[in-house]
Amino acid sequence: MIASHQIETRLREAAEGLLRDKKVGLFLGYEKASLPFRTAPLFLTEAEKAKRLVWSPFCTANLAVYLPRLFKAPADAREAKTMPPPPAVGVVLKGCDARSVITLIQERQVPREKLVLVGVACPGMVDARKAERALGDQEALGAGEDAQGNVRAVVEDGTEVTLRREQVLADVCLECRSPTPSIHDILLGAPAEARETDAARRRTADLGSETADRRWARLQQALSKCIRCNACRQACPMCYCKDCLLDQTRPRWVGAGTDISDVTMYHLVRAFHMAGRCTECGACARACPMGIDARLLVRKLNLEVEDLFGYRPGAALDGVPLLSAFAMDDPQEFLTEP
Amino acid sequence: MIDKRIPYTDLDRLLDRLAKRGAVYAPIKDEAGEVVLAARTHDQPIVLEYRNFRLSPKALVLPQNQTLMCFKNGDVEEPALSDRETFLFGVRPCDARAMLALDKVFIDGDQHDPYYARLRAKVAVIALACTRPTSSCFCTSVGSGPGDAAGADVLAVALDADLLLGAETPRGQELLSCVADLLTDAPGAAVKEAEGQIRAAEDQIAPVNLQNIARRLRDAYDSPLWETASLKCLGCGTCSYLCPTCHCFDITDDVRGGTVRRVRTWDCCAYPLFTLHASGHNPRPTAKERWRQRIMHKFRYAAENYNHLLCVGCGRCIRNCPVSMDLRTVLKEVGA
Repeated sequence: MIASHQIETRLREAAEGLLRDKKVGLFLGYEKASLPFRTAPLFLTEAEKAKRLVWSPFCTANLAVYLPRLFKAPADAREAKTMPPPPAVGVVLKGCDARSVITLIQERQVPREKLVLVGVACPGMVDARKAERALGDQEALGAGEDAQGNVRAVVEDGTEVTLRREQVLADVCLECRSPTPSIHDILLGAPAEARETDAARRRTADLGSETADRRWARLQQALSKCIRCNACRQACPMCYCKDCLLDQTRPRWVGAGTDISDVTMYHLVRAFHMAGRCTECGACARACPMGIDARLLVRKLNLEVEDLFGYRPGAALDGVPLLSAFAMDDPQEFLTEP
Repeated sequence: MIDKRIPYTDLDRLLDRLAKRGAVYAPIKDEAGEVVLAARTHDQPIVLEYRNFRLSPKALVLPQNQTLMCFKNGDVEEPALSDRETFLFGVRPCDARAMLALDKVFIDGDQHDPYYARLRAKVAVIALACTRPTSSCFCTSVGSGPGDAAGADVLAVALDADLLLGAETPRGQELLSCVADLLTDAPGAAVKEAEGQIRAAEDQIAPVNLQNIARRLRDAYDSPLWETASLKCLGCGTCSYLCPTCHCFDITDDVRGGTVRRVRTWDCCAYPLFTLHASGHNPRPTAKERWRQRIMHKFRYAAENYNHLLCVGCGRCIRNCPVSMDLRTVLKEVGA
């Protein structure tokens, strides 16, 4: 897509300028990865290396996940007094990523004044595993984007295969309602329209309409592949707790193994800690090595938050985090009439 | 040595014979259409068209969740273990070799882990040579290859016409002799075809220079490359959990009612808590120290302690890392 290439050029110029003029000491973006259908996060500190930055259908990672650790105060209080303050950070953000940054700012994990946000209106990103599956038993040697925004892959025997973008978009992108970053200092690309505004609702309605037994069976089936690697939690920008409840041993709230009750508790606890905070970036599902739909529960909880309280996490910088506020007319029937 | 053959139409009969003696794991398609190594059932046909399984077979000798013993009413009970065998059919040479690497850690040295050893002793591996490596494979650089028989009791090669087999250990010989009536001698031309196939697969694998890697890593301990390389690591554990040789574990006591189960679960050196001391000090405080340790463990400490790398070049870590980290890139930079 010509637009992608233009965005890439402007992105490189913006990053180079910010670093050269010392407006930021670090610029977070994406660079080429060693395998097709992927990019790798890039921590750029030198203006001359800005050409390493790319913008493509494979810029899937949510770079907001790196921000809390860049601004974390050192554990040693003496060190904290003498250390220079962390540099300002520039970062490339898609719509979902920008919502994560808003939520992190609201939760006081990152300082707004130390960030330069380069927003890009996102057409949806490719799920590498979907693309690989679409190629069947052929393996891609390289992949790029054509003028229509579809994915062009070169496979082992040298032939080119075109994969329609909708066919290989990440599930989370198919449900996206916020493709354009609502917070930015620089915006690249024309603002994009949301694809289908009730895709998530339809997906959860199907689960919600089942009997409790059927829902439990489906949940168990979905979670039974979980190997408790914690990838979903580590990839999530909103999971920044220094001491995660799920790791504690005194007391051990949740066992460490793969007993279905422990697995279910892990996912339930994470889902409830994400309700009203998850910005639907899909980092959890992408990180999961077992291909579990890690958003199964939180998708539903976020819609309930929206319906009950009219709140969408990360929608606006001046919003107050859901659980930090109440209104006198907040629904309460679930308390008195469970 | 590949010297026997069996027509594909008799493969089920061979596996049926093994099923009389124990559990048989074979490649089948799961509900999502992915080929997995799973307990064989008769309604699922064996699939031989796959690169490798998403999960390594290590869970069969080192379960993610293993009850070591129970304490109940002042008594200690160990879970009963059946003495039936476990047959793994279709394991790739890299994963078969990984079993040997795990043996170095758990049984060959001055440690003897009975919980690992008991499961390992039951396992017989019928490995299937590779014909189509992926771009993330680098087995040939770690002393293995698409036709490597290390760790296999029997090595099989799938030709168009039929399946060739060869015993690699006394156990493999015993296995093949119990199905001898299903086998015929492999003609020389077929063996040559198999060797050609393996060589062709070897040629497709891009090499990584691991000459003197242990010494190069030792000299590069304080290199700034560890900081740069590790910046993007999320500490998610995907690499370790999918790795066929990663074996670090945690042991916890699971208390329910009056029973305490002592449970071993997989752990990962990339987790921030992995080396956290009770004092609050952490000798590996950031991703830099942890990523360096990961590489050192696999390519230096293993070489120094066991004379056997703790990496078999299967590429699962590269393929599945959510931020596309590639340890081949780091290895190339070490001592470059």
